Amino acid sequence: MIARLLHSRETALVIVLAVVFTLFALLTPNFLDAFSLLERTRYWIVPGLLAIPMTFIIATAGIDLSVGAIVALCAVVGGLLHTDFGWPMPLAAAAAMATGTLAGAFNGSVSSFLRIPPLVVTLATMTLYRGMALRLSEARSFSSFPDTFLWISQGDLFSFGAGRLGPLFFPVPLATLIVVGAVGAVLLRKSWIGRYTEHIGANPTAAVFAAIPVPWITCGLYTACGAVCGLTALFHTALYASAKADAATGMELEAIAAVVVGGTRISGGHASVSGSLLGLCLIGMLRYGLELAGAPSEWIIIIVGVLLIATVVLNEALARRAATRSL
Amino acid sequence: MADTLLQLSSIRKHFGGVCALSDARLDVRRGEVHALIGENGAGKSTLINIATGLYRPDDGVMILAGQTVAFQNTRQAAGAGIHVVHQEAELFAQLSIAENMLLGEGLVRGAGGFIHWPKTWQEAARRIESVGESFNVREDSGGLPVARRTMAEIAAAVATEPKILFLDEPTASLTVKEIDNLFSQIRRLTQRGVAIVYVSHRLEEVKQICDRVTIMRDGATVSTHAVDTIGIDGMVAEMVGREVLRSTKEARYIPGEPRLAVQGLSDTAGTFHDVSFEVRAGEIVGLYGFVGAGRSEIAQTITGLHPARSGTIAVDGAPCAVRSMRQAVRAGLAYLPEDRLVQGVFREHSVMRNASVTTLPRLATGTLVHARRERAMAEQVVADMQVRTSGVSQPIGDLSGGNQQKVVFGRWTATNPKVLILDEPTRGVDVGAKSEIHRLIRERADAGTAVLLISSELPEIMAMSDRVLTLAAGRLTGEFDPARNDEKEIAAAAVPRATAAVKPVVSRFAAVGARLLQLRELGLICFIGLLAAAMTALHPAEFANTRNFVDILTSAAIPAIMAQGAMLIICAGGIDISVGSMLGLVGAIAALAAKSGMPPAACLALAVALGCACSLINAGASLTARIHPIIVTLAGISIYRGLMRLATGGREVMLLPPEYRALADGRLFGIPKVCYYLIAVTIVVHLLLRYRVVGRQILALGNSESAARLIGLSKIKLTLLVFGISGALTGLCSVLQAGYYGKIQANTGAGMELQAIAAAVIGGTNILGGRGSAIGTLLGAFLVALLYNSLVLLGADAYWQNIFVGALILTAVITDALVARLRKGAA
Repeated sequence: MIARLLHSRETALVIVLAVVFTLFALLTPNFLDAFSLLERTRYWIVPGLLAIPMTFIIATAGIDLSVGAIVALCAVVGGLLHTDFGWPMPLAAAAAMATGTLAGAFNGSVSSFLRIPPLVVTLATMTLYRGMALRLSEARSFSSFPDTFLWISQGDLFSFGAGRLGPLFFPVPLATLIVVGAVGAVLLRKSWIGRYTEHIGANPTAAVFAAIPVPWITCGLYTACGAVCGLTALFHTALYASAKADAATGMELEAIAAVVVGGTRISGGHASVSGSLLGLCLIGMLRYGLELAGAPSEWIIIIVGVLLIATVVLNEALARRAATRSL
Repeated sequence: MADTLLQLSSIRKHFGGVCALSDARLDVRRGEVHALIGENGAGKSTLINIATGLYRPDDGVMILAGQTVAFQNTRQAAGAGIHVVHQEAELFAQLSIAENMLLGEGLVRGAGGFIHWPKTWQEAARRIESVGESFNVREDSGGLPVARRTMAEIAAAVATEPKILFLDEPTASLTVKEIDNLFSQIRRLTQRGVAIVYVSHRLEEVKQICDRVTIMRDGATVSTHAVDTIGIDGMVAEMVGREVLRSTKEARYIPGEPRLAVQGLSDTAGTFHDVSFEVRAGEIVGLYGFVGAGRSEIAQTITGLHPARSGTIAVDGAPCAVRSMRQAVRAGLAYLPEDRLVQGVFREHSVMRNASVTTLPRLATGTLVHARRERAMAEQVVADMQVRTSGVSQPIGDLSGGNQQKVVFGRWTATNPKVLILDEPTRGVDVGAKSEIHRLIRERADAGTAVLLISSELPEIMAMSDRVLTLAAGRLTGEFDPARNDEKEIAAAAVPRATAAVKPVVSRFAAVGARLLQLRELGLICFIGLLAAAMTALHPAEFANTRNFVDILTSAAIPAIMAQGAMLIICAGGIDISVGSMLGLVGAIAALAAKSGMPPAACLALAVALGCACSLINAGASLTARIHPIIVTLAGISIYRGLMRLATGGREVMLLPPEYRALADGRLFGIPKVCYYLIAVTIVVHLLLRYRVVGRQILALGNSESAARLIGLSKIKLTLLVFGISGALTGLCSVLQAGYYGKIQANTGAGMELQAIAAAVIGGTNILGGRGSAIGTLLGAFLVALLYNSLVLLGADAYWQNIFVGALILTAVITDALVARLRKGAA
């Protein structure tokens, strides 16, 4: 029983998280400040939202490298329409989401129906969409957004005055992430969409023979991923109160790292949304703790990169061991 | 026997839980033609693969010419004189026929170890002629009909002067004339003392050409006889090994209405032609034929998995033209595929998930699957099919082959199909599971389902079918009643006669497209010329002058050198997207070293070594995890950029020593220095890829990893090589970049990986690997620079650059994908 619990990635991650948390709490002063910790979680919304559709895409043995660029494009579209064209914010937000959906649909249809590897397609669209964002914004930054809009990232669902641990509150983006994460987890675990997703990653040929509409499912996933990127763009814009073309640069790495650390195999077939969110927590906590400890920001991106490679190697080794054992 | 050349005894081999060979024996004498026969799945191919070094046996002894041998790979076996011509000759489709023939043993090399192409072609042509054929050996083998591929393989193997030659179903796709030719080659070889092991289903051929015959059944050798003493009947009896249980069948059925009616069906690939039959309610129709006769293709065309050219299909009288398995299921069709591991099971997933996959939407409300209903459904399947499992949550990969098959069968009966097509339902299944599966098939038929049973096992066909159709070389050749006709008649009808080869449909358009692709370099030059002409007409003053031309060439130089490295990696089937960051890191370190007083040449060497090391780390990590390098190199983007910022403290590295800058900056004989580097690198890469054996091996690996393994190529060695070269070039470029621009900035090199990949794919490199050229890549890089220069002249601002690079890559890969599709249609 204990062996099985240890075998589950989620349990292992919770343990690692606890260890990292304790270490930082002991070694870094101010780490246990509840206010800062909660404040900090606002920033998780961007990689966190992206990690959820990414979990599905990686489960099909695909990848989407263009998510950061789509976020930037959507942010710029929203900002441009609101600032330069005077569109009301809800309309501009809808346009941003629509842009993301279209961008994702393009990735999906080219890779699924023309059967070009998604890594090639999204590598190209990564620079294409980023370029569009740059072209549309002409490298300007849009920053006049209504306070009601900024609330989605900067606001709280509720807050109580000062308690013994400081003021207690619940940031809106954290709540959003939990809700979207729950929806993602249910879709993956309980719906036939999630089931088909894992089947496609486990054996794409058998999926076709089992009457799964493979290209439609994968195309749908990339499209949904684009839509979530659009949503992420709104939170990103509200979080920094500005929209510009370099938004979310490198965020694809963080999202993919969260997914892989969370135990989803890069070669597809098995995925876990809760794992991805735990992976996100781990990366977020490392980042926060290292910053507090005074590590230069370079270290953090290096560590995220190394963590990604190390867990990929670990995941594949574990899976191979499990496979040989079961034979 | 004194003249025994090869002796295999007590060979055992397991694949996972499946026992492929339990006790295989084979002894081959000098100068004989030794037939190896058995039903599909009897273990012939596994035995060949062990004898030729592809697999290592779990147990058993192999003695070659009196000495015990244990081959580690196919190269060692080939070195010992054991060669094989595989059944479906697996090929490097994007390499020429000559290379396919000669790559395994070595292409003809001339001075300095460079490949001598004219001699290589001559040698290949000589071999082709020596087996009495003639065709253009310089053509890509991907466009070759199967028969010719087989002849090319045989020609290549014959010319190596083997001691033992294994021929696995060599005549499956040959015409009568070619078969005669093959037989005279075989006789010529045996006269010289060569032993031939001849695997075939065609027992008449065995009788005609072979001296002795070894019969295998269920992974073990049954017996070895002189062909003259046993006769065809005897061979069949021993292959089958058990009495046909004809008594199990009663005259039970009354044919109902036709549920499946197929009329005049042909497929576009030309595998089968004008097939018409019907299957009635409650009837089991056996479709009997050998591998390659087109059995699976017929089934897959009916179920929408394989494209039809003409003909009609009706289910319960209603026309049914399905284009996907999904539509087929809706129309009431079900298809149990032939290859359980590849087409059937999701190995890592549970029995429950494997069982419920076809009925999932029915077990759901909206999109949510009811866990209890799903479990109940799976438990029903387990109970109905008598699947032996510890529970429905057990991974299906843990079950035996027979139990896995029952789950897949249950997955399809659960859809309540009107028509059930079973493709080799008992292949690789133990005897107990086999009779249970037979019982289940009969139950379905009794319940009114029309069953089409495809099998290459005649006893199974005889015992199960109400009616038997025979298929040979893509045509239906007879209809039999197993109660009245005997096995011999049926088997005879399934034996392919003089193959009236079915002509595939070749679209002329496709053929033209395929030709165009081969002229990539020419096309690029034309395009560059046209673009230059257009720009000269539009902007004569700004565009058409030497300075602008030199500018374009200079701006193309560094991306072009990077592109050569990217091209090599892509050719080998990989990708490296971290080279931009790597360039920044290496450039910064080399520049800092130069500022601290290190001599320029030493800095250059340092940069090259560092680049090489970074790139080898990328390759090493992806090889260790056995994953595509994209993930590792994606992480590399951040890691190298982060390390660079640590090294420089986030500041620009400026004020470089003039002698260091002089490595790249300035001109020599009026031409910018970077151009010389570009020319040198292009020549070296061109020579490597075109004229060194290792270059061809890189392309071979990118063409087909499994075929590369068959000829003993090392993926690890070749991958490390291409990454090493790419890293060294990145190091070189980092020095050039520093020298040319006089500084290394925090974002130096960012986006360079995409420019490099763009140049490579525009230059004709297949993004999936296996094809590429240095000259094409050079032209691609030049075209990218020229296009960008033109855009700027036409008034585009700098913001367009990213859009431009992205769009170029997309255009190139989409075009290539479409052309490849046309080409496939033409092949």
